[in-house]
Formats: sequence, structure tokens, C-alpha cells
Amino acid sequence: MALPLFSGALVSILAQGFFQPVPVLVFKIDVGMVAFIAGLIITLFLLSFYAGGLLVERRSQHMLERSLKEAESGRRRFLRRLDHEIKNPLTGLRAALVNVQEARGTDERQRASNNASRAVDRLSRLLADLRKLSDLEERSLENLPVNVPELLQDMVDAARSIPAYGDREVNLLISRVPSPFPTVRGDRDLLGVAMYNLVENALKFTSENESVEVRALEDGRTIVVEVADSGVGIPAEDLSNIFEELYRGSNARGVDGSGLGLALVRRIVALHGGEIDVRSRQEEPRGTVFTVRLPVSKL
Amino acid sequence: MSRQRMTLLLADDDHTIVDSLAPFLERAGFKVLVVSNGAAALEKVQSHHPDLIVLDVLMPRMDGRETLRRLRHANVWTPTILLTQVGEASERALALEEGADDYLNKPFDPHELLARVRAVLRRARPGERSLSAAWLLTADDLVLDRRARRASLKGNSLELTPKALAVLEYLMTHPDEVVSRERLLNAVWGWEYPAGTRTVDTRMAELRRALDDDPASPYYIETISGEGYRFIPSVHGEG
Repeated sequence: MALPLFSGALVSILAQGFFQPVPVLVFKIDVGMVAFIAGLIITLFLLSFYAGGLLVERRSQHMLERSLKEAESGRRRFLRRLDHEIKNPLTGLRAALVNVQEARGTDERQRASNNASRAVDRLSRLLADLRKLSDLEERSLENLPVNVPELLQDMVDAARSIPAYGDREVNLLISRVPSPFPTVRGDRDLLGVAMYNLVENALKFTSENESVEVRALEDGRTIVVEVADSGVGIPAEDLSNIFEELYRGSNARGVDGSGLGLALVRRIVALHGGEIDVRSRQEEPRGTVFTVRLPVSKL
Repeated sequence: MSRQRMTLLLADDDHTIVDSLAPFLERAGFKVLVVSNGAAALEKVQSHHPDLIVLDVLMPRMDGRETLRRLRHANVWTPTILLTQVGEASERALALEEGADDYLNKPFDPHELLARVRAVLRRARPGERSLSAAWLLTADDLVLDRRARRASLKGNSLELTPKALAVLEYLMTHPDEVVSRERLLNAVWGWEYPAGTRTVDTRMAELRRALDDDPASPYYIETISGEGYRFIPSVHGEG
């Protein structure tokens, strides 16, 4: 079937040596034409380049706009929440001040001023945590080996030293073999804040007959700290938001706290090159586990 | 001397603050002068020679920092407490550069200010440059170079974390004073830590190890049970 093709090819090769090519169709192109065509090709080339660039630019512009919009809506959400967090203690403070002025006896005055102090404490706590969050962006981190088991023990002790949690058990489990447990490089004080917040949260959202457990494991590259509790659990719709600043899940409304604790934890963990996750169940076996992964420090 | 009523100059542009602080300090036995900016503070210092100045940092016309700089430049060593709103270390280093005797972060409890005022007055040697304004501090074999951020014991350089060094610095500029853990947290860390006391104790342990100081029979740093820490030897300041 391919015989004509082969024979044609053979003839063309053989004929090349013997005959001058026979002009069948002739294009006459002068220098002007060459210049015109070259210009056309270059123009087309540039145009396609330009169009591609425009497309890329449009896309990145779009992405920038979107992230700006997200940042803007995040900022608005934050301000709205902040407004709410300030409104309540401030209302309490105003009412307490009126009661101080109009109190008819020492008892009433005492109660009113106690309420005023409580409102002030709440505002102070909020402000202190806001400062920490903004400080984190600017302060220089220590970069020293941190002994995680020791740190966890300290933070568990510290949380249990709060009178409300004095009689609560916190199970601390740390893998002992092989030893010693590897260190994390970073800022001990900040990591302490992160761990403490998690432990205190676990205690805050559990009652006396529920348990809290802190576990530390390592696989040579990563140190995994889990803070687990058998408390009421976090509703699924809140799970993706709880690390947001001032976000309050439906369980956390009316519970003491600045609403910035988990945001601080996430930021501190991120500054140490780590990650934090949460999983939670509200049906039996219910409970919540926060998992922090931190890179093991290299020797 | 302690019988005589001491005069405090309170410089802050926020009226609600001074209107409440002034009567509070007066009840505590002080005579209180109030001004609302740095320029007025300079004038009052010249005309009334207060025993102590409480200076807010953010003020119109002349801020607290500039005011203090001018005072020290003119060789006026009136003890001064700076009210800073930022707790960052750089801010505190600045406060030192200007020769503040102590600093307090807003918002503070008025009782805390009173405690600071009393402590600074107790330490003050009228007309003399205070330890807080000295760059080189010496206590026996221990030398702290605040500019170079270095400490040495018997000529050997000490390996200290920046935090431990800052704790040592605070203790050495406040010798023979019982410094509470909360105070150290406020002044050195600038944050309130939930597990704060432990945070301080960890650094103190580091410091004592470096100084080879036995907590049971300390030479440099004494633990005052339930209260805090005290730097024992007397400190000499230079530069």
C-alpha cells in the first residue's frame, strides 16, 4: 500500500543528483514583503504575549482583590465582635457605678463596687490578650531548646493551682522510651502560654466527673501534644471558626474568657513552625481533642 | 524627713486619670501637683522641685520621653516613673536610656503605682544619679554591662538568655528591694502570663545556676517566701 510513497521518495532522492529542480509554482518575494511579513509575525507574537500578560495580571488582580476583600470583611467581623465584647462589661460597669452612687447602705455599696471590679477585670483581660496578639507580630522570639515534658508539667500544675480547678485531675502522659524526649526550638514562655490556654480550656469546658488528658508523643521529626477532654464537645459548625479572634462558639457564650485564647495558641504554634488541629464529638463517646504538632529541634 | 509631706508631680493629659489619681495619692499622704503636658512639667520641676515625677509617655506638646531626656540632660535627677503603654522590650530599653527610675504599664492598679512611688522614693538619693540611669552595674564580682547586654562573674562571661539577663538587670537596678514575681513579669516580660509565677521561677533558676548561687544560702538573690525576690549585695553604678 505504501509502495507509491516509497517509490516517490526514491525517485526524488535519485532525481536530485541529476536534474535541476523544475519550477512548478513560483513565489516572488521582495525585501519590502519580507519586512512586512516579519513585522506581522513579530506583532502577532507580541500581541499574544501582551494578551497572556493581561490575563495573568487580571487574574492576580482578581486574587488580590479577593484577599483584600477577605481581610476587610475579617477586620469588620473582628470590630463587630470587639464591640460586643466591650459592650457587656461596660454596661455592667455603668450599672454598678449608678448603684455605688445610689447605694443605701454599706452592703449595697460593697456589692456594687465588687461588680464594678469584676467588669473592670473582664475589660483588662480582654485588653491584655489583645496586646499579646499584637505584640506577637513584633516581638523577637527566643530560639532555645525547650523541654516539652517539663513545660507541660509546669502548665498542668499552673492550671490546677487555680482554686476552681484545685481538685481536678489532669492525666499527663509522656512517652518515656526512648529517652530523652526531643526538644523543640523556640520561646518557652510563649509555648507555655499556648499549652496553658489549651489545658485551661479543657478544664473550663469539663465538669468534675469528666476527664482531661494531656499527651505528648514524638516520631523523631515532630512532637505531637494532645490536650483531650471528655466534655460536651464543640458543635460541628463552630469547629472551623474557633481559632478566629473573638469568635465564640455557642458553647462558649457566657463562659469567662477573652475570646482570644485559641487565636493566641494558633499564632504561637504557627510562629514555631507548627500546626494545630481540633476534632470534637458531641455524641458519645463525646469530647474534644486539640492536637499541636511542633517540629523537633535539629541538633 | 519621712515626717515631711513629699511632693509628687503628676503629668498626664487624661483628666479622668489625674482627677482620680491625685486625690488617691493625696490620701496616701503626698502633696500632688498636676500638669497635662511635658512643657508644663519642666516648668513645674523648676519652680516646685518635686520629690518624684510620674510621667505619662503620650502627651501633647512634649511627650514624657522628651521631657525626661531634657531633665536628665540638665542634670536633674528627680526620681521618675514613666507610664508607658507599650510593654515591649525596646520600649523599656528606651525608658532606661532616658533615665527613668521605674516604669508602669497602663492600665495599672492605683495601689501598684503607690507601691512603685514608695519604693522609688525609698531608694532615691536626692540629687544623685540613680542606678536606673547607669550603664555599668557592679555588685562585688558580678558586673552587668547593660549596653552590651552582657554579664560577667569574676571576669568570666555568663551565658544567660535575654530574659534571664533582663531579670538580673531589674534586680540589680532595684537592690535590697523585695521585687514580686508580678512586678518582674510586668517590667521584664511586659505581659501578664497565666502561669506567670512559674515563668519567673524558671528564669530565676537559670540565673542562679549561672551565678552559682545556692537558694538555701544565697549570696546574690534571696527568695522572700510568698513575696518575691531580693538582690542582696549593694550595687555600684557607672556611666
